[in-house]
Amino acid sequence: MEINFNINGKTAKVDVDPAMPLLWVVRDELNLKATKFGCGAALCGACTLHIDGEAYRSCSIPVSFAAGKKVTTLEGLSESEDKLHPIQQAWMEENVPQCGYCQPGFMMAAANFLEKNPNPTEEDIKTNITNICRCGTQPRIIKAIKRAAQLSQTATL
Amino acid sequence: MATEEKKTKKKFSRRKFLQRGAIIFGGTVVAVIASKGPIRRFLAQKAENMDFPLLVSTQEPSFWFEVLPDNTILYKSTKLEMGQGIFTGLAMLAAEELEVSLEQIKVVHANTANGVEDSLGTGGSNTTLSLFKPIREVAATLREMLKAQAAKQWGVPVAGIKVENGIMTSGNHKATYYEISTSTKEWKTPETPALKPSSAFKYVGKDVKRIDLKPKVTGQPIFGIDQTFPDMLYAVMLQSPYIGGTLKKLNTQEAAKVSGVVKIVEDNELVAVVAKNRYAAEMGLQKIEAEWDVPKKWQQAEFEALTTVGLGTDVRIQSEGSPESLLEEAPNQIFKQEYRTPLATHAHMEPHGAVAHVEKDKATMYVGTQASTLFRSTIAKAIEVETEQLNIETTYAGGSFGRRIDSKHSEKVARIAKIVGKPVHVFNTRTQEFQNAIYRPQTHHVLAAKIGKNGTIEAITHNQATPDQVLGAIPANIGYTLLGADFVSAGHGASILYNIEHKSATLWQNKLPVHTGIWRSVGMFPNTFAIESFINELAHKTGKDPLKMRLELLAGNEQINQRYKKVLETLAEKSGWNQPKAAGIGRGIAIGNDRKSIAAAVIEVAIVDNQIRVKKVTQVLDAGLAINPEGIRMQVEGATMMGITAALYEGLTIKDGQITATNFHEYPMAKLSDTPEIEVIILEGHAEPYGVGEPPLAPVAPAIAAAVFDLTGKNLRTLPLKLS
Repeated sequence: MEINFNINGKTAKVDVDPAMPLLWVVRDELNLKATKFGCGAALCGACTLHIDGEAYRSCSIPVSFAAGKKVTTLEGLSESEDKLHPIQQAWMEENVPQCGYCQPGFMMAAANFLEKNPNPTEEDIKTNITNICRCGTQPRIIKAIKRAAQLSQTATL
Repeated sequence: MATEEKKTKKKFSRRKFLQRGAIIFGGTVVAVIASKGPIRRFLAQKAENMDFPLLVSTQEPSFWFEVLPDNTILYKSTKLEMGQGIFTGLAMLAAEELEVSLEQIKVVHANTANGVEDSLGTGGSNTTLSLFKPIREVAATLREMLKAQAAKQWGVPVAGIKVENGIMTSGNHKATYYEISTSTKEWKTPETPALKPSSAFKYVGKDVKRIDLKPKVTGQPIFGIDQTFPDMLYAVMLQSPYIGGTLKKLNTQEAAKVSGVVKIVEDNELVAVVAKNRYAAEMGLQKIEAEWDVPKKWQQAEFEALTTVGLGTDVRIQSEGSPESLLEEAPNQIFKQEYRTPLATHAHMEPHGAVAHVEKDKATMYVGTQASTLFRSTIAKAIEVETEQLNIETTYAGGSFGRRIDSKHSEKVARIAKIVGKPVHVFNTRTQEFQNAIYRPQTHHVLAAKIGKNGTIEAITHNQATPDQVLGAIPANIGYTLLGADFVSAGHGASILYNIEHKSATLWQNKLPVHTGIWRSVGMFPNTFAIESFINELAHKTGKDPLKMRLELLAGNEQINQRYKKVLETLAEKSGWNQPKAAGIGRGIAIGNDRKSIAAAVIEVAIVDNQIRVKKVTQVLDAGLAINPEGIRMQVEGATMMGITAALYEGLTIKDGQITATNFHEYPMAKLSDTPEIEVIILEGHAEPYGVGEPPLAPVAPAIAAAVFDLTGKNLRTLPLKLS
C-alpha cells in the first residue's frame, strides 16, 4: 500500500505493508539510520522519534499511523550539522555518549520533553524519560537535559 | 566509516605486514616496524601474574598510520570502540609522539584486509596498558622518519627541526608531514626513538572529550546494524526457545507464503527466514511451526543447584598456612556464610548480528567484534573460503561487555549469506538476545573464618563454584588440561588479598547446559560481592568499623597495600564515612582489586516503598597513570550504573526449560530514576596505566548490600538484592 508522509521536511512516499513498524520504514526504506532498533516492544526507547510533535517509540507504531503526518528523526532535529539542536549541543558539552547506540532515542525523547517542560526539575527529568542505556550514561543524560533547558532558554531570549 | 575505509584501501604486500606496525606514505608501505618487544614483555608479565582473561595471544596487535593529503593522520585501530572510549585514548597517545593536535588524528577501525591483526582482541581492560608504549613507539618512529627526510632535503641537522601540529620547520625551511611523506620513496626505518618523558605530555593526564562525539550525537550510521549493501536482504534466524533444544519437526510452508519472504534457509540446524525487509522476515519467523527435542526441561531450583560448592572438579588457587585445619579444630569459633550470584546476560542495546556478503571468491562481513582476527579464521572456515578471502570490517559496537568475543552467531550469518548468494542483514530479536545468549555464569560461594580472641581473623577460606567463562573456548580443552580451572577469568578475584595468616581459595568447576562466557569484570563481580560482603559481616560480628577493619587487615608491607591504604583513606574522607548519616540512610563500603587497579566505593541507600534506592555513590579508583581523567570518570559512572542494575535488578530465571525473560520488562535495567549522586575520585598510583572499564563495577553490589544491612539489619546474600 502506498503511504505518504513528511519526513524531516521532505515528502516520503513508500509502498509497504501498512502494518510495518515505522522504525523499519525509516531505517531501511528511507535509509535514515539514526533511529535504532533495541527491543521491538516499546520498552527501551532506542527508536524514539516525533510524529506531529509527539514522541513515539517507532518500533511499535505501524507506518499507516504516520500517513499524512510530520515525522522527525534525529537527522531532522537540527537545522544543519553545524547548527546543532540545543539537545545535541548539550550532549556534546556534557560528553554524554559511550557506545552511543541508545543516544538518538534519548535525545529525541528529551527534545520532546523539553518542548513541553522547558524548565524541568531533576525529578521531572528522572520520572519522564524512561529510555534504557546499558553503558550507564544516565548521570550525564540528566545533566545534559538540564543544560539543554538552559541553552534553549538563552536562545529564545 | 565504511566509506572512509574503502577510500583509503591501498595495495601493499600483506606478508610484510603481519605482526608488524606499518607506516604508509602516499599509498606505499615505507616502513615496517616490529613492535614485538613491548607487547611480548607485556604478555609475559601478564602470564606470570595470570591476570589476563584471553589466553590465546600468539600474535601482537599491529599498527597502521597513514599521512593523508590534508596533513591529518589516519590511525586504523585493531581495537573495538564499544563505548569504552578507546579511540580517544589511543589518539591521545599517538598525538603525543606525532607532535600533532588531537584534531589532526582520525581513528577508524582496521579491517582485516589491511593485514593488521590482533589476536589478543579487545577486552580484559587491557588495551590502554598493552598499547601504552607500543603505539607511542610507532608514532615516534613515524615522526623521526619524516624529520630525517626533511633534514636530508634541506641539508640541515635533524636535531634542529621543530615540529608543531604536523608542520616541520628549520630556519626558513617549512613543510608539512604530508609534503615530506610524498617527496621520496626511499625510506629507512630508524632504531626506535626514545619516548617523551611524562613531564612533557601535552594531552596525557588532561580531560579530553570523546573524539567520536559528533557522529554519535548526529546519529551517523556507524554501527553494524546500520551497514548496507546494494540489493541487501534481511534475515531472522530460528533459534531454540528451550535450553539445549534441537529441532525435531519443522514446517515452513506458511512462513514462505508471507509477503516479502524470498527464501527459507534450511541447512542442518540452521534455519532462517530471508525477506526483502526486516518486518517480513520477522512475520515469516512467527509463521514457522517448529517442534523441539528438549533433553531436559530445567526448572530454576535444579538449574541453580548445578552450581554448588562441592560439585565438579576442584582446584586450589590459593593456599597459605593451614586454614582448613584451624577451622576444623575450633568449630565454635567459626563464622560461615554462603552467597549466590545469578545467571545473567549482557543486554547491550544493539542486538547481536552482522551484515555479510559472500561472493564466489571473496567475502565481506560488517560486524562489531572484540576479536576480528579470531572471527576471520572461524568464519572463513564456516563458509569454506580461504582466510585471506574474507574481510572483516569492524564497526562501532552498540555495547558489548564481553559478548562480542564469540563468533558463533556471525558464522551463521555468513552461512546464510553464502546460501542466499546475496548480501544479508541478520540481527537477533531482543527475545533471542535473552534466550540464545552467552551468559554470565551463576556462582555459589562459601566463606568461612575463624575468629580468634579480640576479634582477630585467624583463618579464612573461600570456596567458589562456577561454570567457566573462557576455558571452554580453548581448543582441545588445553586450558582445562593445563590449568584445571578457569582461574584467570571466572575465578579472577577469588583469592583473599587481606593480610590474614591462614587463607585459601578453591574453585569448583561446574558444568551448565548453557554457554557461559565473559561479562564485564569477569570473576571480580561475583567474587568481590561474596568476599567483601563476608568481610562486612565479619566486621559487624567482631564489632569493628568495616573501613577501619580493612585498613587493619592491610597491615602488611607490600606496595599494593600502600595503594589500598590511600584509596581507603581517600574514600573515608570524600564519602564522609566518619560523619553522621542522614535519617533513613544506610551506608556501606566495599573494595576490589582488578587488573592491578583498585576500586572502592561507599554507597548510601534508602528504602522507599519497600524498594532499595541508591542515593549516593562515592567511588575512588587508582588505575595507575590516568591518561584521560574525563574518560575514566565516564567509565566509573557507567560501571556504577551497571553495578546498580546488577545489584538490584539483574538475573535470569528458568522455568520449564526456558529462560523466562523475553524482553526488558522481564529483565529490568537501571533507568534515569535510579541514578544516584555519583562522585568519582581518581588517584594515580603508578606511572603505567591500568584497566579502567571493569574494576569499578566490582565494589558496587557488596557496598549496596552493606548499606542495606546498615539500614535494616538484614543481610542479603543473593543477587539481585531483594528485601522480601
